[in-house]
Amino acid sequence: MSKIVMRFTGVGGQGVLLAGEIFAAAKIKQGGYGIKTATYTSQVRGGATVVDIQLDDKEIFYPYAIDGEIDFMLSVADVSYQQFKGGVREGGTIVIEPNLVHPTDEDRKKWNIVEIAIITIAKEEVGNVITQSVVALAIANTYTKALDRQLLIDTMLSKVPKKVHELNLKAYELGEKYATEAIAEA
Amino acid sequence: MSEIREIISSGNELAAIASVDAGCKFFAGYPLTPSSEIMHVVSDLLPKIGGAAIQMEDEIAGVAAAIGAGMSGVRSLTATSGPGISLKAENLGLAQMCEVPLVVINVMRGGPSTGLPTRVSQGDVAQAKNPSHGDYKSITVCAGNLAECYTETVRAFNLADRFMQPVFVLLDETIGHMHAKAELPTLEAVKAGIVPRKTFDGAPEDYLPYGVEEDQPALLNPMFTGYRYHYTGLHHDASGFPTEEIETCRKLIDRLFQKVEKYQDEIESNEEYMVDDADILIVGYGSASLAIKEAINMLRKDGIKVGMFRPITLWPSPEKRLHELGQKFDKVLSVELNQGQYLEEVQRSMGRLDIEKLTKTNGRPFSPSDIIEKVKEL
Repeated sequence: MSKIVMRFTGVGGQGVLLAGEIFAAAKIKQGGYGIKTATYTSQVRGGATVVDIQLDDKEIFYPYAIDGEIDFMLSVADVSYQQFKGGVREGGTIVIEPNLVHPTDEDRKKWNIVEIAIITIAKEEVGNVITQSVVALAIANTYTKALDRQLLIDTMLSKVPKKVHELNLKAYELGEKYATEAIAEA
Repeated sequence: MSEIREIISSGNELAAIASVDAGCKFFAGYPLTPSSEIMHVVSDLLPKIGGAAIQMEDEIAGVAAAIGAGMSGVRSLTATSGPGISLKAENLGLAQMCEVPLVVINVMRGGPSTGLPTRVSQGDVAQAKNPSHGDYKSITVCAGNLAECYTETVRAFNLADRFMQPVFVLLDETIGHMHAKAELPTLEAVKAGIVPRKTFDGAPEDYLPYGVEEDQPALLNPMFTGYRYHYTGLHHDASGFPTEEIETCRKLIDRLFQKVEKYQDEIESNEEYMVDDADILIVGYGSASLAIKEAINMLRKDGIKVGMFRPITLWPSPEKRLHELGQKFDKVLSVELNQGQYLEEVQRSMGRLDIEKLTKTNGRPFSPSDIIEKVKEL
């Protein structure tokens, strides 16, 4: 596969880091190189957080996404959306939580902006807001087709406690469903 | 049989795992961003193997307890970031003077003072050379990738026991927090590489821990093993008791230098990346080297031949090799996430002042394009 570069952004405390770890681990399991690097602020909660994920068959040295090379970004907070959107390549996809992120008209021309209510889905349909990172994981993989679905799910399940396996599986399936619908509508 | 194993982890976690694998039995410290995960992981691992990890009341107590454990004969660790090293400085001087082995991991963040707690920097390189007042010879290693967070921490424990002094492991926020695959030596290989600290097994009345040859480290037996000990930060004689005798004082400090300088070959470690056919040499270390490597690969696609010299042991510096390279290359660029702390060492070693520099001190990493742009200006 050619290199896939993703970026997840939110605010501290939302748990966007986990999705990155899962992607990297699954890619390594499949064979190849995956790397996740997070950047955050000194605010414990509320500061802009960004996670860069790079997946490649070749060794990756530099751990951050290079501006202009990001294929896919997902954002659940406006502060970090505004700060980090610039790294996405023109025509790249940005999935946003429409209740919290407000792209400009310019943004909509430059990028393929997709609105999926990630937090509402996690909170109301899955039943636990913490599962938003797994909803995000499913959306990202549905868009990028980066990794084998089952491998990603298995890796995800290996990183969450057994008692919440079913909940997270549900979160994955819902994320996948909304992403598939959004792709069909486009 | 496979000679390597793969672990998917972060730099901080790998440094913590390495400590335990290297035989560390004691950790004391105070959690400080961006080093805290080291304490989290050793706190989980050490009690399971009969060791102990203690969160002390502050940084000073953290290093003090770790030094105490070192005196008692066990492999001991503390971990922090630059502001913590500033607080630990006085006790680090004590450990140098008393010749107590200890590993100190510093995951560097933006400074000075509290600086930029969650941001990357390499601003503690000069501090690692001389954190405390007085004369002594620092041993400082610096990891430049995930695997080295493990292997250099293991090496630091071995160097600490070999040279009987604190050894610094410098990581930085980027390396500490990046998360990917690391290829590591097997646990068996790590265990096989452990050389226990030398001890004196003669009669207790003949025990003179500092009465060693002029280029040898102290021969300290663990406390409470039947040998009388006296530790002091004052100048001391062969027995460890204070003295102001002129020759004894001179010899003591000379020995603190000679025990390291004469055996630098055992300590020095460097990486040379595409140096052989290069026209331009970059000197860089730590996480900056990741951007440098990426930049070198991109520049070579455009036909610009650049190579990198990366010191892994920062102190003592690889001055001879730097000098040789300074003769070979007209264009040398020093790249570091500070205002040029190692640049001065490169200038000194190469014996020339015309070293170009690329520095950054805003808490952000170099991107490969920063380096490419600078190289193209040369």
